[in-house]
Amino acid sequence: MKVDKMKAQEIQMAWIIWQYSERQHEGRNALEDMHERMILKMFSKWMTDQQMDCALDLMRRLPPQQIEKNLSDLIDLVPSLCEDLLSSVDQPLKIAKDKDMGKDYLLCDYNRDGDSYRSPWSNTYDPPLEDGSMPSERLRKLEIDANHAFDQYREMYFEGGVSSVYLWDLDHGFAGVILIKKAGDGSKKIKGCWDSIHVVEVQEKTSGRSAHYKLTSTAMLWLQTNKPGSGTMNLGGSLTRQVESDASVSEASPHIANIGRMVEEMENKIRNTLNEIYFGKTKDIVNGLRSIQPLANQQQQDALRQDLALAFLRRQAKGDSN
Amino acid sequence: MKGDKMAADSDEPISDQEKVRIVTNFILHSPPGEFNEVFNDVRVLLNNDSLLKEGASSAFSQYNKDQLTPVKIEGSEHKVLITEHNDLGGGRFFDDRSRQTFRYDHLKKEASDYQSWTPDATVEQWRSAIESELTTYTMDHYKNGVCSVFGKSHQSGSTVMACIEDHQFQPNNYWNGRWRSQWCITLPQGSTPTELRGILKVQVHYYEDGNVQLVSSKDVKENLTSTSPAELAKEFVRQVETAESEYQCAISENYQTMSDTTFKALRRQLPVTRAKIDWNKIVSYSVGKELRSQ
Repeated sequence: MKVDKMKAQEIQMAWIIWQYSERQHEGRNALEDMHERMILKMFSKWMTDQQMDCALDLMRRLPPQQIEKNLSDLIDLVPSLCEDLLSSVDQPLKIAKDKDMGKDYLLCDYNRDGDSYRSPWSNTYDPPLEDGSMPSERLRKLEIDANHAFDQYREMYFEGGVSSVYLWDLDHGFAGVILIKKAGDGSKKIKGCWDSIHVVEVQEKTSGRSAHYKLTSTAMLWLQTNKPGSGTMNLGGSLTRQVESDASVSEASPHIANIGRMVEEMENKIRNTLNEIYFGKTKDIVNGLRSIQPLANQQQQDALRQDLALAFLRRQAKGDSN
Repeated sequence: MKGDKMAADSDEPISDQEKVRIVTNFILHSPPGEFNEVFNDVRVLLNNDSLLKEGASSAFSQYNKDQLTPVKIEGSEHKVLITEHNDLGGGRFFDDRSRQTFRYDHLKKEASDYQSWTPDATVEQWRSAIESELTTYTMDHYKNGVCSVFGKSHQSGSTVMACIEDHQFQPNNYWNGRWRSQWCITLPQGSTPTELRGILKVQVHYYEDGNVQLVSSKDVKENLTSTSPAELAKEFVRQVETAESEYQCAISENYQTMSDTTFKALRRQLPVTRAKIDWNKIVSYSVGKELRSQ
């Protein structure tokens, strides 16, 4: 997104603002004031949208190894974007302990209220809040079940780690986030960590017998090592994918099962893509920057290969014409 | 998390000086080939062009020097690298190879205003011997690589700085990468070269539907035994080739281990059952649900 790609109406808006700011303040009537306030409000919203686009673009380019610091600096730079940034920029998940239940849970913007976080196990805020945002009673029941279901999912695919599910009400349905964090054991002197953030939006059809599901999934993968041969090597970041589908809702196919299938399929796909990008693509790029074999050798090999291919084709053509 | 910091800061906006520090830091961390995009983002976020110009313009030149930016110059078929080692101040840089100095525009990334230049005589025979061997080495291992060798002398002796840079920018495919080597040969006063130090850096950025980066660097230290420029040039290139190849091999080995071991241990491809999950079973085992008859 570039500043010089402003649309014509936006340029006009900017010019109108400039005009107004140049005018004297005496002799203006109430209607003109109201008009100006409206225009300033529109301009302000447009500016915020542009800044949000740039902030998100920046977070796609700065080294993901410093996400937390970059996000913090970004919010300091443009405080008006704070809430929007916190809810749209994925950060590596932090773990907290639910002292009442003796179980770990994960922190994100969706279970945060002010400076407190709600545990999915005890359903209370830490530090305690008098008036913290809570899911409705019906939703809390679903949330408890979802946590238990994804606890099993986590165990089957991750064989360890921590998971948490948080739900919140929407007008015609509900939304939720499924979080998983798994840290490696540091064997072979390589530190690894996986974070999953799945945000699902469920629009229930009025009949209650089907629903529309929209899933946005981000998987973060962090790998680092500090061995003498390779110095410091830090390979990290995230990939994001989206999918939408409809499914029938019944006792045999409840929401959790529908969501579970979507999440499982999505995570399996992202896992494969992470494998290709991290250990295939980026490695190929490195080896394209420098060649261990002298390039002259390579060129000779390529030339030889081409000669052989041509000779083979000629022989085939000859064979065909016989 | 940021929520905690918010309460502490209340509604105090930060100072212009702080803003400049943040913006400068962002600019300096632009991935290879993406300076313009980061600059545009930062410009809109700061929303104060005069503050940007007066406070952050040193960041533009710092970034180009950090990245060992190659630039085409007149009067030479070889590009020269913009580095801290050939910075004359006032926006001018020198090139020992083509015996010139020039003005470099850090935003346009162009050279102009050429003047003649005499390389440091004390160290010139060592420098030019190394440059000749290193140029051959660079063409042998880097498809579009550029190398620059600079000589400087001081009271205690001389140094020869040798830099190699190669990059691949493919923004249409959402990726960019750069290799940087910096080698320093110390020649103490009245003595033969003693020490070779190197810093090797690789950075790769992949950003299709995500943000994945490889950031790696290695420090190298070796001893030198040659007594003549010709001998040193050959010894130098041998050491460089060995060190750089070892580094590249070690990176490849790490990739293998990361993929075979570390990644597999984080998340399985499929559960132990070798089949996807039966979600109806999972849901029916959840606490709080009535047991269903099969």
